[in-house]
Amino acid sequence: MTYVIGKECIDAQDRSCVDVCPVDCIYEGSRKNYINPAECIDCGECELVCPEVAIFPARKATNDEWKQFTADNAAFFTEQLPGQDAPLGDPGGAEPLGSVDADTPLVAGWPQR
Amino acid sequence: MSDPIDMRDVRDVTVVGAGPSGLFATYYAGFRGLSVTLVDAQPEAGGQVTALYPAKTIHDVAGFPSVTGADLIAGLTAQAREHAPHMLFDADVVDLGRDEQTGLFRVVLKDGRAIRTRTVVIATGVGGIHPRKLPVGHEWHGRGVVYIVTDPDVHAGQDIVVVGGGDSALDWALQLRPIARSVTVVHRRRAFRAHPASLTRAAREGIVLLTESELQSVDGDHRVRSVVVRDKQAVDVELPADTVVGALGLLSAPSPFEAWGLDVEGRHVVVDPTMQTNVPGVFAIGDASSYRGKVALIATGFGEAATAVNNAAVHIEPGASLVPGHSTDDDVALPQTATTRQEA
Repeated sequence: MTYVIGKECIDAQDRSCVDVCPVDCIYEGSRKNYINPAECIDCGECELVCPEVAIFPARKATNDEWKQFTADNAAFFTEQLPGQDAPLGDPGGAEPLGSVDADTPLVAGWPQR
Repeated sequence: MSDPIDMRDVRDVTVVGAGPSGLFATYYAGFRGLSVTLVDAQPEAGGQVTALYPAKTIHDVAGFPSVTGADLIAGLTAQAREHAPHMLFDADVVDLGRDEQTGLFRVVLKDGRAIRTRTVVIATGVGGIHPRKLPVGHEWHGRGVVYIVTDPDVHAGQDIVVVGGGDSALDWALQLRPIARSVTVVHRRRAFRAHPASLTRAAREGIVLLTESELQSVDGDHRVRSVVVRDKQAVDVELPADTVVGALGLLSAPSPFEAWGLDVEGRHVVVDPTMQTNVPGVFAIGDASSYRGKVALIATGFGEAATAVNNAAVHIEPGASLVPGHSTDDDVALPQTATTRQEA
Protein backbone atom coordinates (compact mmCIF):
# COMPACT_ATOMS: atom_id res chain seq x y z
CA MET A 1 0.00 0.00 0.00
CA THR A 2 0.98 3.60 -0.18
CA TYR A 3 0.21 7.00 1.25
CA VAL A 4 -1.14 9.69 -1.04
CA ILE A 5 -0.84 13.48 -1.12
CA GLY A 6 -4.10 15.28 -1.76
CA LYS A 7 -5.12 18.67 -3.10
CA GLU A 8 -4.22 20.56 0.10
CA CYS A 9 -0.56 20.36 -0.94
CA ILE A 10 -1.10 22.28 -4.15
CA ASP A 11 0.74 25.64 -3.92
CA ALA A 12 1.57 24.86 -0.29
CA GLN A 13 4.40 22.31 -0.60
CA ASP A 14 5.59 22.58 2.98
CA ARG A 15 8.02 19.66 2.38
CA SER A 16 8.10 18.44 5.99
CA CYS A 17 7.02 15.12 4.51
CA VAL A 18 10.14 15.05 2.34
CA ASP A 19 12.28 15.54 5.45
CA VAL A 20 10.80 12.60 7.33
CA CYS A 21 10.31 10.03 4.59
CA PRO A 22 12.68 7.19 5.49
CA VAL A 23 12.86 5.90 1.94
CA ASP A 24 13.01 9.30 0.20
CA CYS A 25 10.00 8.47 -1.96
CA ILE A 26 8.25 11.88 -1.88
CA TYR A 27 9.00 13.75 -5.09
CA GLU A 28 8.60 17.50 -5.56
CA GLY A 29 6.60 18.66 -8.55
CA SER A 30 6.19 22.26 -9.56
CA ARG A 31 3.07 22.99 -7.46
CA LYS A 32 2.63 19.81 -5.43
CA ASN A 33 4.50 16.84 -4.00
CA TYR A 34 3.79 13.25 -5.02
CA ILE A 35 4.42 9.93 -3.25
CA ASN A 36 5.77 7.14 -5.41
CA PRO A 37 3.42 4.22 -4.69
CA ALA A 38 6.01 1.61 -5.68
CA GLU A 39 8.59 3.00 -3.28
CA CYS A 40 6.37 3.95 -0.32
CA ILE A 41 6.66 1.52 2.61
CA ASP A 42 3.41 2.63 4.22
CA CYS A 43 5.01 3.84 7.46
CA GLY A 44 2.78 6.91 7.80
CA GLU A 45 5.45 9.34 9.03
CA CYS A 46 4.48 11.86 6.34
CA GLU A 47 0.83 11.92 7.34
CA LEU A 48 1.76 12.86 10.89
CA VAL A 49 3.95 15.83 9.99
CA CYS A 50 1.99 17.43 7.15
CA PRO A 51 0.80 20.87 8.36
CA GLU A 52 -1.75 20.98 5.53
CA VAL A 53 -3.26 17.63 6.56
CA ALA A 54 -2.92 16.71 2.89
CA ILE A 55 -1.76 13.11 3.27
CA PHE A 56 -3.88 9.98 3.63
CA PRO A 57 -3.37 6.24 3.22
CA ALA A 58 -4.61 4.90 -0.10
CA ARG A 59 -6.63 2.23 1.68
CA LYS A 60 -8.85 4.98 3.10
CA ALA A 61 -9.50 6.51 -0.32
CA THR A 62 -13.18 5.72 -0.52
CA ASN A 63 -14.47 9.05 -1.79
CA ASP A 64 -14.06 10.22 -5.37
CA GLU A 65 -11.60 13.01 -4.61
CA TRP A 66 -9.20 10.77 -2.73
CA LYS A 67 -9.51 8.07 -5.37
CA GLN A 68 -8.70 10.67 -7.98
CA PHE A 69 -5.57 11.82 -6.13
CA THR A 70 -4.49 8.24 -5.47
CA ALA A 71 -4.51 7.59 -9.21
CA ASP A 72 -2.91 10.98 -9.84
CA ASN A 73 0.02 10.32 -7.47
CA ALA A 74 0.76 7.15 -9.43
CA ALA A 75 0.33 8.95 -12.75
CA PHE A 76 3.10 11.41 -11.82
CA PHE A 77 5.50 8.47 -12.16
CA THR A 78 3.88 6.34 -14.85
CA GLU A 79 2.84 9.05 -17.33
CA GLN A 80 5.17 11.26 -19.32
CA LEU A 81 5.05 14.74 -17.79
CA PRO A 82 5.28 17.98 -19.81
CA GLY A 83 8.91 18.81 -20.58
CA GLN A 84 10.13 15.30 -19.66
CA ASP A 85 11.52 12.80 -22.16
CA ALA A 86 10.05 9.76 -20.44
CA PRO A 87 7.98 8.82 -17.41
CA LEU A 88 9.89 9.19 -14.13
CA GLY A 89 9.30 5.56 -13.20
CA ASP A 90 10.74 4.53 -9.84
CA PRO A 91 13.93 6.58 -9.46
CA GLY A 92 14.70 5.06 -6.04
CA GLY A 93 15.16 8.39 -4.26
CA ALA A 94 13.87 11.93 -4.63
CA GLU A 95 16.89 13.84 -3.38
CA PRO A 96 19.30 12.86 -6.16
CA LEU A 97 16.59 13.69 -8.71
CA GLY A 98 15.85 17.13 -7.27
CA SER A 99 12.64 19.01 -7.81
CA VAL A 100 10.78 18.14 -11.02
CA ASP A 101 9.61 21.21 -12.89
CA ALA A 102 6.29 19.69 -13.88
CA ASP A 103 2.97 18.45 -12.56
CA THR A 104 0.28 16.04 -13.64
CA PRO A 105 -2.43 17.61 -15.85
CA LEU A 106 -4.86 17.43 -12.90
CA VAL A 107 -2.56 19.50 -10.67
CA ALA A 108 -1.29 21.80 -13.40
CA GLY A 109 -4.88 22.74 -14.20
CA TRP A 110 -5.94 23.16 -10.57
CA PRO A 111 -7.08 26.73 -9.72
CA GLN A 112 -4.39 28.82 -7.98
CA ARG A 113 -4.79 28.96 -4.21
CA MET B 1 36.17 -5.86 22.85
CA SER B 2 35.76 -9.51 23.72
CA ASP B 3 33.02 -11.32 21.93
CA PRO B 4 31.30 -14.26 23.57
CA ILE B 5 30.31 -15.67 20.17
CA ASP B 6 32.71 -18.12 18.57
CA MET B 7 32.81 -17.11 14.92
CA ARG B 8 34.48 -20.41 13.93
CA ASP B 9 31.19 -22.12 14.62
CA VAL B 10 29.33 -23.17 11.45
CA ARG B 11 25.70 -22.16 11.69
CA ASP B 12 22.74 -23.88 10.06
CA VAL B 13 20.92 -20.64 9.42
CA THR B 14 22.00 -17.01 9.42
CA VAL B 15 19.14 -14.53 9.43
CA VAL B 16 20.00 -11.07 8.15
CA GLY B 17 17.68 -8.45 9.62
CA ALA B 18 15.93 -8.38 13.00
CA GLY B 19 12.57 -6.96 11.98
CA PRO B 20 9.37 -8.94 12.61
CA SER B 21 10.05 -11.49 9.83
CA GLY B 22 13.69 -12.00 10.78
CA LEU B 23 12.89 -12.37 14.48
CA PHE B 24 10.22 -14.96 13.73
CA ALA B 25 12.56 -16.82 11.36
CA THR B 26 15.11 -16.88 14.19
CA TYR B 27 12.59 -18.37 16.59
CA TYR B 28 11.45 -20.82 13.96
CA ALA B 29 14.96 -22.03 13.12
CA GLY B 30 15.56 -22.70 16.81
CA PHE B 31 12.21 -24.46 17.06
CA ARG B 32 13.26 -26.71 14.17
CA GLY B 33 16.43 -27.60 16.03
CA LEU B 34 18.71 -25.59 13.76
CA SER B 35 21.57 -23.46 15.03
CA VAL B 36 20.93 -19.84 14.12
CA THR B 37 22.65 -16.47 14.12
CA LEU B 38 20.67 -13.26 13.71
CA VAL B 39 22.48 -10.12 12.56
CA ASP B 40 21.19 -6.58 12.23
CA ALA B 41 22.69 -3.22 11.31
CA GLN B 42 20.76 -1.43 14.04
CA PRO B 43 21.73 -1.40 17.72
CA GLU B 44 18.47 -3.10 18.67
CA ALA B 45 15.82 -5.43 17.29
CA GLY B 46 12.68 -4.40 15.49
CA GLY B 47 13.72 -3.02 12.12
CA GLN B 48 11.44 -0.33 10.81
CA VAL B 49 8.87 -1.02 13.53
CA THR B 50 11.34 0.10 16.20
CA ALA B 51 12.94 2.82 14.10
CA LEU B 52 9.78 4.37 12.71
CA TYR B 53 6.65 3.51 14.63
CA PRO B 54 7.26 1.87 18.02
CA ALA B 55 4.25 3.62 19.56
CA LYS B 56 1.89 3.03 16.66
CA THR B 57 -0.90 0.51 17.24
CA ILE B 58 -0.91 -2.36 14.77
CA HIS B 59 -4.25 -4.07 14.09
CA ASP B 60 -3.47 -6.74 11.53
CA VAL B 61 -1.27 -9.18 13.42
CA ALA B 62 -3.08 -12.48 13.89
CA GLY B 63 -4.08 -13.07 17.49
CA PHE B 64 -3.69 -9.44 18.56
CA PRO B 65 -6.73 -7.19 18.08
CA SER B 66 -4.29 -4.34 18.66
CA VAL B 67 -0.65 -4.27 19.67
CA THR B 68 1.92 -1.48 19.76
CA GLY B 69 5.01 -1.86 17.62
CA ALA B 70 7.19 -1.92 20.73
CA ASP B 71 5.13 -4.66 22.41
CA LEU B 72 5.09 -6.77 19.27
CA ILE B 73 8.87 -6.55 18.95
CA ALA B 74 9.36 -7.32 22.64
CA GLY B 75 7.24 -10.45 22.25
CA LEU B 76 8.97 -11.54 19.06
CA THR B 77 12.38 -10.97 20.64
CA ALA B 78 11.52 -13.03 23.70
CA GLN B 79 10.19 -15.78 21.43
CA ALA B 80 13.28 -15.63 19.19
CA ARG B 81 15.55 -16.00 22.24
CA GLU B 82 13.83 -19.21 23.37
CA HIS B 83 16.33 -21.47 21.66
CA ALA B 84 19.42 -19.38 22.51
CA PRO B 85 20.31 -18.03 19.08
CA HIS B 86 23.39 -15.90 18.51
CA MET B 87 22.33 -12.30 18.06
CA LEU B 88 24.66 -9.64 16.70
CA PHE B 89 23.55 -6.01 16.56
CA ASP B 90 25.34 -2.98 15.05
CA ALA B 91 26.47 -5.55 12.53
CA ASP B 92 25.98 -4.41 8.93
CA VAL B 93 26.38 -7.20 6.41
CA VAL B 94 28.79 -5.97 3.76
CA ASP B 95 29.20 -9.12 1.72
CA LEU B 96 27.66 -12.49 1.09
CA GLY B 97 29.80 -15.11 -0.60
CA ARG B 98 30.01 -18.87 -0.97
CA ASP B 99 33.02 -21.09 -0.48
CA GLU B 100 33.00 -23.46 -3.45
CA GLN B 101 34.93 -26.20 -1.64
CA THR B 102 32.80 -26.48 1.47
CA GLY B 103 29.59 -25.11 0.02
CA LEU B 104 29.27 -22.89 3.06
CA PHE B 105 28.20 -19.27 2.81
CA ARG B 106 30.23 -16.46 4.31
CA VAL B 107 28.24 -13.57 5.74
CA VAL B 108 30.80 -10.80 6.14
CA LEU B 109 30.17 -8.05 8.67
CA LYS B 110 31.44 -4.47 8.52
CA ASP B 111 33.99 -5.11 11.26
CA GLY B 112 35.55 -7.81 9.09
CA ARG B 113 34.20 -10.80 10.98
CA ALA B 114 32.50 -13.49 8.92
CA ILE B 115 29.80 -15.96 9.83
CA ARG B 116 30.06 -19.38 8.19
CA THR B 117 26.64 -20.77 7.55
CA ARG B 118 24.82 -23.49 5.63
CA THR B 119 21.89 -21.30 4.67
CA VAL B 120 21.01 -17.61 4.73
CA VAL B 121 17.63 -16.00 5.27
CA ILE B 122 17.55 -12.42 4.05
CA ALA B 123 15.03 -10.37 6.01
CA THR B 124 16.46 -6.93 5.44
CA GLY B 125 13.13 -5.21 4.86
CA VAL B 126 13.57 -1.82 3.27
CA GLY B 127 17.30 -1.93 4.00
CA GLY B 128 19.56 -0.73 6.75
CA ILE B 129 18.16 2.36 8.44
CA HIS B 130 20.76 5.03 9.07
CA PRO B 131 20.82 8.72 10.00
CA ARG B 132 20.46 10.91 6.94
CA LYS B 133 23.79 12.50 6.06
CA LEU B 134 24.21 16.27 6.17
CA PRO B 135 24.03 17.64 2.62
CA VAL B 136 27.17 19.69 3.38
CA GLY B 137 29.83 18.97 5.96
CA HIS B 138 29.53 15.19 6.13
CA GLU B 139 33.27 14.95 5.46
CA TRP B 140 33.76 16.30 9.02
CA HIS B 141 32.03 13.25 10.49
CA GLY B 142 34.10 12.16 13.48
CA ARG B 143 35.86 15.53 13.63
CA GLY B 144 33.03 17.60 15.06
CA VAL B 145 30.10 16.38 12.98
CA VAL B 146 27.97 13.77 14.78
CA TYR B 147 24.65 12.10 14.03
CA ILE B 148 24.02 10.62 17.45
CA VAL B 149 24.80 12.29 20.75
CA THR B 150 26.13 9.37 22.75
CA ASP B 151 27.83 11.20 25.62
CA PRO B 152 26.51 14.72 26.23
CA ASP B 153 29.35 15.55 28.64
CA VAL B 154 31.98 15.68 25.90
CA HIS B 155 30.14 18.73 24.57
CA ALA B 156 30.49 20.79 27.76
CA GLY B 157 31.41 24.40 27.06
CA GLN B 158 30.98 23.99 23.30
CA ASP B 159 29.20 26.02 20.68
CA ILE B 160 26.76 23.58 19.13
CA VAL B 161 24.79 23.75 15.91
CA VAL B 162 21.96 21.26 15.47
CA VAL B 163 20.64 20.77 11.94
CA GLY B 164 17.06 19.57 11.60
CA GLY B 165 13.50 20.47 12.51
CA GLY B 166 11.97 17.44 14.16
CA ASP B 167 11.73 16.12 17.68
CA SER B 168 15.20 14.59 17.70
CA ALA B 169 16.76 17.94 16.74
CA LEU B 170 14.97 19.73 19.57
CA ASP B 171 15.53 16.90 22.05
CA TRP B 172 19.27 17.02 21.49
CA ALA B 173 19.33 20.82 21.61
CA LEU B 174 17.50 20.80 24.94
CA GLN B 175 19.69 18.05 26.34
CA LEU B 176 22.89 19.90 25.43
CA ARG B 177 21.77 23.42 26.37
CA PRO B 178 22.58 23.24 30.11
CA ILE B 179 26.21 22.27 29.48
CA ALA B 180 26.94 23.98 26.15
CA ARG B 181 28.12 27.56 25.64
CA SER B 182 25.55 28.04 22.91
CA VAL B 183 23.05 25.96 20.98
CA THR B 184 21.64 26.96 17.61
CA VAL B 185 19.10 24.90 15.69
CA VAL B 186 19.13 25.36 11.91
CA HIS B 187 16.07 24.21 9.96
CA ARG B 188 15.49 24.68 6.25
CA ARG B 189 11.71 24.82 6.44
CA ARG B 190 9.32 27.57 7.57
CA ALA B 191 8.11 25.72 10.64
CA PHE B 192 9.52 23.17 13.03
CA ARG B 193 7.92 19.73 13.19
CA ALA B 194 8.97 19.26 16.79
CA HIS B 195 6.44 19.28 19.60
CA PRO B 196 5.30 22.87 20.38
CA ALA B 197 6.20 22.40 24.08
CA SER B 198 9.80 21.66 23.08
CA LEU B 199 9.91 24.83 20.99
CA THR B 200 8.56 26.95 23.84
CA ARG B 201 11.10 25.48 26.21
CA ALA B 202 13.91 25.93 23.70
CA ALA B 203 13.11 29.62 23.28
CA ARG B 204 12.91 30.08 27.06
CA GLU B 205 16.27 28.40 27.58
CA GLY B 206 18.06 30.59 25.09
CA ILE B 207 18.38 28.16 22.21
CA VAL B 208 18.61 30.07 18.95
CA LEU B 209 16.09 28.74 16.42
CA LEU B 210 16.78 29.58 12.77
CA THR B 211 14.12 28.67 10.20
CA GLU B 212 14.27 28.81 6.42
CA SER B 213 18.02 28.55 6.84
CA GLU B 214 20.47 26.04 5.43
CA LEU B 215 23.96 25.00 6.30
CA GLN B 216 26.18 26.46 3.60
CA SER B 217 29.55 25.18 4.75
CA VAL B 218 31.36 23.61 7.66
CA ASP B 219 34.86 24.90 8.33
CA GLY B 220 37.72 24.18 10.68
CA ASP B 221 41.28 22.95 10.98
CA HIS B 222 41.83 19.46 12.34
CA ARG B 223 38.24 19.67 13.57
CA VAL B 224 35.12 21.74 13.10
CA ARG B 225 35.40 25.38 14.25
CA SER B 226 32.58 27.19 12.50
CA VAL B 227 29.69 26.91 10.09
CA VAL B 228 28.12 29.27 7.59
CA VAL B 229 24.33 29.42 7.57
CA ARG B 230 22.39 31.00 4.71
CA ASP B 231 18.90 32.37 5.33
CA LYS B 232 16.11 32.75 2.78
CA GLN B 233 17.27 36.25 1.82
CA ALA B 234 20.55 34.54 0.85
CA VAL B 235 22.41 36.31 3.67
CA ASP B 236 25.31 34.24 5.01
CA VAL B 237 26.13 34.27 8.71
CA GLU B 238 29.16 32.59 10.22
CA LEU B 239 28.60 30.90 13.58
CA PRO B 240 31.23 29.43 15.87
CA ALA B 241 30.70 25.67 16.14
CA ASP B 242 32.63 22.97 17.95
CA THR B 243 30.01 20.35 17.19
CA VAL B 244 27.47 20.05 14.40
CA VAL B 245 24.68 17.58 15.16
CA GLY B 246 22.98 16.18 12.07
CA ALA B 247 19.38 15.45 13.07
CA LEU B 248 17.78 15.02 9.66
CA GLY B 249 15.96 11.81 10.44
CA LEU B 250 16.51 8.35 9.08
CA LEU B 251 17.00 7.00 5.61
CA SER B 252 16.99 3.41 4.51
CA ALA B 253 19.62 2.05 2.18
CA PRO B 254 18.82 -1.11 0.24
CA SER B 255 21.33 -3.94 0.56
CA PRO B 256 23.59 -4.61 -2.44
CA PHE B 257 21.71 -7.77 -3.45
CA GLU B 258 22.93 -7.72 -7.05
CA ALA B 259 26.55 -7.69 -5.91
CA TRP B 260 25.70 -10.79 -3.87
CA GLY B 261 24.57 -12.56 -7.04
CA LEU B 262 20.86 -12.42 -6.25
CA ASP B 263 18.13 -11.74 -8.81
CA VAL B 264 16.30 -8.56 -7.90
CA GLU B 265 13.16 -6.76 -8.90
CA GLY B 266 13.36 -3.12 -7.92
CA ARG B 267 14.54 -3.11 -4.31
CA HIS B 268 13.39 -6.68 -3.71
CA VAL B 269 14.91 -10.13 -4.05
CA VAL B 270 13.01 -12.51 -6.30
CA VAL B 271 12.03 -15.78 -4.63
CA ASP B 272 10.21 -18.98 -5.61
CA PRO B 273 7.30 -20.52 -3.65
CA THR B 274 9.78 -21.99 -1.13
CA MET B 275 11.09 -18.45 -0.52
CA GLN B 276 14.41 -19.48 -2.04
CA THR B 277 16.32 -17.01 -4.22
CA ASN B 278 18.13 -17.91 -7.43
CA VAL B 279 21.06 -18.97 -5.19
CA PRO B 280 20.26 -22.36 -3.62
CA GLY B 281 20.50 -22.06 0.16
CA VAL B 282 19.76 -18.34 0.21
CA PHE B 283 16.20 -17.45 1.09
CA ALA B 284 14.47 -14.07 1.30
CA ILE B 285 11.39 -13.13 3.33
CA GLY B 286 9.37 -10.13 4.40
CA ASP B 287 9.60 -6.76 2.68
CA ALA B 288 12.94 -7.74 1.12
CA SER B 289 11.32 -10.47 -0.98
CA SER B 290 9.22 -10.37 -4.10
CA TYR B 291 7.06 -12.94 -5.86
CA ARG B 292 3.81 -13.02 -7.80
CA GLY B 293 0.97 -11.98 -5.53
CA LYS B 294 3.29 -10.58 -2.85
CA VAL B 295 1.57 -8.59 -0.12
CA ALA B 296 4.10 -6.83 2.10
CA LEU B 297 2.68 -7.11 5.60
CA ILE B 298 3.97 -8.26 8.97
CA ALA B 299 1.26 -10.95 8.85
CA THR B 300 2.54 -12.45 5.59
CA GLY B 301 6.17 -12.09 6.70
CA PHE B 302 5.55 -14.53 9.53
CA GLY B 303 4.29 -17.18 7.13
CA GLU B 304 7.21 -16.54 4.78
CA ALA B 305 9.61 -17.01 7.71
CA ALA B 306 8.17 -20.45 8.51
CA THR B 307 8.18 -21.46 4.83
CA ALA B 308 11.79 -20.31 4.34
CA VAL B 309 13.14 -22.01 7.48
CA ASN B 310 11.38 -25.33 6.84
CA ASN B 311 12.74 -25.36 3.31
CA ALA B 312 16.18 -24.34 4.60
CA ALA B 313 16.05 -27.38 6.92
CA VAL B 314 15.52 -29.62 3.91
CA HIS B 315 18.30 -27.85 2.02
CA ILE B 316 20.67 -28.58 4.90
CA GLU B 317 19.48 -32.16 5.40
CA PRO B 318 17.82 -33.39 2.21
CA GLY B 319 16.24 -36.32 4.05
CA ALA B 320 14.59 -34.08 6.62
CA SER B 321 10.85 -33.58 6.61
CA LEU B 322 9.68 -30.31 5.17
CA VAL B 323 6.83 -30.30 7.64
CA PRO B 324 7.80 -29.54 11.21
CA GLY B 325 6.36 -31.12 14.30
CA HIS B 326 3.60 -29.29 16.08
CA SER B 327 4.83 -26.62 18.45
CA THR B 328 2.33 -28.00 20.96
CA ASP B 329 4.27 -31.27 21.15
CA ASP B 330 6.43 -31.62 24.24
CA ASP B 331 9.57 -32.51 22.32
CA VAL B 332 9.31 -29.83 19.71
CA ALA B 333 12.85 -29.80 18.35
CA LEU B 334 12.41 -33.05 16.46
CA PRO B 335 11.97 -32.22 12.82
CA GLN B 336 15.50 -33.24 11.83
CA THR B 337 14.51 -36.74 12.89
CA ALA B 338 11.64 -36.56 10.45
CA THR B 339 8.61 -36.16 12.63
CA THR B 340 5.85 -35.60 10.16
CA ARG B 341 2.48 -34.04 10.64
CA GLN B 342 0.89 -37.41 9.98
CA GLU B 343 2.92 -39.11 12.67
CA ALA B 344 2.41 -36.34 15.20
